[in-house]
Amino acid sequence: MPEYTLIALCSVLLVLGIELLWLRTGILRTAQFWLSMLIVWGFQIPVDGWLTKAEGTIVGYDPQQITGLRVGWNSPIEDFAFGFSMITLTLLVWQRVTRPDTQEASPEPH
Amino acid sequence: MSHWHYLFVMAGCLAITLPLELVLGARVWRRPRALVTALVPTVVVFVAWDLWGIYRGSWFYADEFITGLHLGPMPIEELVFFLVVPICGVLTYEAVGRCLTWVKGGPAPWAGQGEPAQARGARGTDA
Repeated sequence: MPEYTLIALCSVLLVLGIELLWLRTGILRTAQFWLSMLIVWGFQIPVDGWLTKAEGTIVGYDPQQITGLRVGWNSPIEDFAFGFSMITLTLLVWQRVTRPDTQEASPEPH
Repeated sequence: MSHWHYLFVMAGCLAITLPLELVLGARVWRRPRALVTALVPTVVVFVAWDLWGIYRGSWFYADEFITGLHLGPMPIEELVFFLVVPICGVLTYEAVGRCLTWVKGGPAPWAGQGEPAQARGARGTDA
């Protein structure tokens, strides 16, 4: 698997693990989180697209390190996993800091 | 002016999301301590990932469209990106929350700050 693809996938799993095993804010089960994520991805298309567009590229990628799947406006599909991890990690900590009372109970130790 | 392209994009992101704070009452910029706390892990992890990507040649930047200011091998624009984009994400999250409250019969997001003055006073202005 290309390197950026692999790291991007691992970052998503890592962030999900941080939520499910450690922070347990519960935001992954809220419409508020998923609606926000959809909006962020929607805006990522023009912003990321502007940075990665074929003509006047601002940020370029080694074709050997990505799948080559481009979505939206020429963005490597990996960037959307990168965006998910970056925003979700931030929101997990934000939620924990601003609403500590909503933390879910720890699973009973066996 | 082309050297400012990347930073212009970032400034645009901040400008576009400002009404979420000022009109929809997201109260993100007004909780600076919580915001900084939420940003620190993201900035640390993603700067490290960015440096790794630069070292590995995964990605590279067109000198024409960046200012040329660097932190080590990393253009300053990348640090700005790891601050600006997560801030936009938190603003979106809070604004969506305000809108969902409204849909469920709560106060409109543009009406006041969305919580009783008493609770606001008790909690202070910074979380």
